[in-house]
Amino acid sequence: MKKNPKTLKLILFSIAGIALLIFPLLAKNSYQVHILNLVGIYMMLSLGLNIAMGYAGQMNLAMGALWAVGAYTAGLLNQRLGLSLWLTLPCAIVAGGLVGGFVGLPALKVRAHYLSIVTIGLNEVINIILVNETKLTGGVDGISKIAKPALFGFKINTEQRYYYLILIAVIATFLISRQILSGRVGRNFRAIRDDYKTAPAMGVNAGFYKLLAFIISGCFAGAAGALYAHLNAYISPDIFEHKTTLFIMTLTMVGGLGNLNGSLIGSFILPVLQEYLRAIQDWQYVVYGLAIMVVVLFVPGGLMQVFTLLKPYVTMLTSRFNKLKSGTTVGEDSNVS
Amino acid sequence: MFLELEHLTMKFGGLVAVDDISFSVNKGEIHGLIGPNGSGKTTIFNMLSGYYKPTSGKIVFEGKNITGLPAHKVTQAGFARTFQNLRLFKSMTVLENVMVSMGHLAKTQLLNVMFNPIAAQKENDLFTEKAMKLLDLLDIRQYAHNLAVSLPYGTQRRVEIARALATEPKILLLDEPAAGLNEVETNELAEILTTIRQSGITIFLVEHDMKLVMGSCHEITVIDYGKKIAEGDCDCVRSDPRVIEAYLGKEEDL
Amino acid sequence: MRELSVLVQTIIGGIGIGSLYALVALSTSMIYRSMGLINFANGSIYMVGTYLGMIWYRGMVMGLQFSYWVSFIIGILLCAGFGVVMERVFRKLADVDLRNMLLGTIGLGFILDNLMIIIFGAEGFAVKSPVSSKPIILGSIRILPQNILLVTVAAILVIALQIFLTKSKTGKAMRASAQDRDIARTMGIHVNQSNAITFAIGFGLSAAAGILAAPIVYVNPAMGSAVGTKAFAGAVLGGLGNIPGAILGGVSFGIIEAISAGYISSQYTKGISFIIVLVVLMFMPSGILGEKQVDKV
Ligand SMILES: Nc1ncnc2c1ncn2[C@@H]1O[C@H](COP(=O)(O)OP(=O)(O)OP(=O)(O)O)[C@@H](O)[C@H]1O
Ligand SMILES: [Mg+2]
Repeated sequence: MKKNPKTLKLILFSIAGIALLIFPLLAKNSYQVHILNLVGIYMMLSLGLNIAMGYAGQMNLAMGALWAVGAYTAGLLNQRLGLSLWLTLPCAIVAGGLVGGFVGLPALKVRAHYLSIVTIGLNEVINIILVNETKLTGGVDGISKIAKPALFGFKINTEQRYYYLILIAVIATFLISRQILSGRVGRNFRAIRDDYKTAPAMGVNAGFYKLLAFIISGCFAGAAGALYAHLNAYISPDIFEHKTTLFIMTLTMVGGLGNLNGSLIGSFILPVLQEYLRAIQDWQYVVYGLAIMVVVLFVPGGLMQVFTLLKPYVTMLTSRFNKLKSGTTVGEDSNVS
Repeated sequence: MFLELEHLTMKFGGLVAVDDISFSVNKGEIHGLIGPNGSGKTTIFNMLSGYYKPTSGKIVFEGKNITGLPAHKVTQAGFARTFQNLRLFKSMTVLENVMVSMGHLAKTQLLNVMFNPIAAQKENDLFTEKAMKLLDLLDIRQYAHNLAVSLPYGTQRRVEIARALATEPKILLLDEPAAGLNEVETNELAEILTTIRQSGITIFLVEHDMKLVMGSCHEITVIDYGKKIAEGDCDCVRSDPRVIEAYLGKEEDL
Repeated sequence: MRELSVLVQTIIGGIGIGSLYALVALSTSMIYRSMGLINFANGSIYMVGTYLGMIWYRGMVMGLQFSYWVSFIIGILLCAGFGVVMERVFRKLADVDLRNMLLGTIGLGFILDNLMIIIFGAEGFAVKSPVSSKPIILGSIRILPQNILLVTVAAILVIALQIFLTKSKTGKAMRASAQDRDIARTMGIHVNQSNAITFAIGFGLSAAAGILAAPIVYVNPAMGSAVGTKAFAGAVLGGLGNIPGAILGGVSFGIIEAISAGYISSQYTKGISFIIVLVVLMFMPSGILGEKQVDKV
């Protein structure tokens, strides 16, 4: 029987799916699950950034702050009004989207380097507000004792249980991203990224789509923020500083800008790598920095580019393999490529 | 009047690129705009298509004053254009390039295409079908799934025209569409222009290839140093002494 | 009267800190001009430069100890040499797009910051000022000698740079290759060589700023991060790639910071400064002295 690529894909997907489902049962301790939970949250942030920066070409260097907006919205609503995750989550998405749109407003006037310093500045401004508006935000102490959610009386109060919640959220975010990018909106994003000057001549309202890209990344960051707040039960401004923004950017780019799978891969590899590198203490960041430089200098398209580069070889190998199995010799089909 | 330019002026610092130019373009015609290098042709196109705000003067299209509208609004009003130097979207296939132009006509709500897979698919299918017809018109269907910028120059020019037509314009501004084409390709272009005009679209053509201009245009406006120096039909322009003088010593011959 | 002298004093303080920003902004802007590359690691280079100078002043290398000014010069020269080496790395980055450039220089900053932690430890040290800490009193205004020193040395460096760029053959070649690499090449200018000199000067300026700052800040591996961002903001404020703009932007940023710290709110200082940069950019999208970008199509 001949295997076609579709069935192969299906099999791979099922294996990956089962692995994802049973991971918490196999994990050595809940810390490992915790790391994976964080990976999931980074995936959501990275998908948001990828849409803004990878697809729409907008330098959104305020993801850390937008994440904070979601986390603080959820944290405060829970602490002050006792709302559960199911209510704080939509509020956080809306808040993230609104602030995201606000952060994106300067994009109507400035671009590239200028936009990056402006968004870095806004990230700082939001962080300073979190530190100093002590009455509202708790200042440097942040907000603690944020309640874990429950579903129909079933308490989602362990890392393992939360894992499934995040898994669902990541899948949903991924599918929504793919849906958004598959049609008109995705094409318009890429049009303003490829050539922001000519896109308007094709009827694309460049300003609107710039803002939309910022709003979407804000919504994703908002959702990630709410999930993080309820997972960690504790949030403080230092979690969402400029360096967090750079970290989110780094994982997105190491994975591959303009490729949603890249976001997933980058968000997985870098935090996990960081865990392993802990053993070498201070050297970890040096290795980390070197890894970034290597990616930028040699595979500027990120790890997804490595896969694309390898793809022809894989296809060649599998086709040879199939041919060998079905009895024909390799030489015969060398003219069909 | 279909399209009227009234006392259009464009200054860049001290340079007057377009100086008090007025003329009109008739519906259903091919109107030529010629002039030596740097005489302000592209600048006029940039004003018409909303890229530059005229320093002074008015652009009236179908009775509406469209001066200073942003480019995407001008496109929605019925203008389409190509660019003198090829400007195709570099990450997109030919098909996608053409489909971008259809977005502004879409009837489906934005949120619906963002979150409803069925509606999005339907829209994509509709766009694809329409785009394929345009690719047929320009005889580039076989390249539909190729990266647009990877194609030969002449083909890219066709993709640009297809992309402009996909906005469903009333008037099409072509900025030197024959630049870089060989003779065969230029002849094919002339045929394409005729087909487009026959479908009811007015064409406003900037071109240095005089054979193409003289062969296709109903009406020609000639500018030099930003000023209008002549207008009329081909014969009238060809024999105008000021036109001959403007082109004297330059490679283009009439 | 009293208020006025406080204001003057605040502004003078702002100009002092601003001249440091100006030097680093100048470095950012010159490197941008030569290669179109924004060096997000500039804060780290400022920090590395400080160490390269201050280790001699404090006798941290084989017991060798020099005076402040000798250390100042050694620091600048070593950092300039480091710049020449880094130009080779950055040369590759200059060909990639903005986002990769950003990430690459961030990665470099990461490496430098943490190498310094590994070598010198995360705790820093204080450095004695070469001038007295007694304020000079002019009527009702008190000025710190350190402040005068900052402004004077920065001014000397900027003037020297300007003379070098406009009068020397190398300087002229550098300006030509910054304007158009290809044309410069046809004119027989070694573009890479002139870029290497730009890097040497840029890195040297960052080191100078760091060493000048050393007596008033606490020298430690994290000292560069804030300065790097502020200098970038200053360079952008003045107009990226524009040399007078970088000085103007850097100094303005220092003054804005000082005034908002003194009069509005010390906690919100950093935020206010960025908001002002943002507002300026909304009206002048290419900075104060930056060339207006032409949207040619
Ligand atoms: N954005 C701009 N800023 C400054 N000057 C400009 C700008 N756009 C055009 N110009 C100047 O205006 C004049 C007219 O240019 P334009 O491009 O309109 O000429 P053209 O007739 O299209 O020439 P060509 O046949 O070479 O395409 C030129 O001197 C050009 O340098
Ligand atoms: Mg032109």
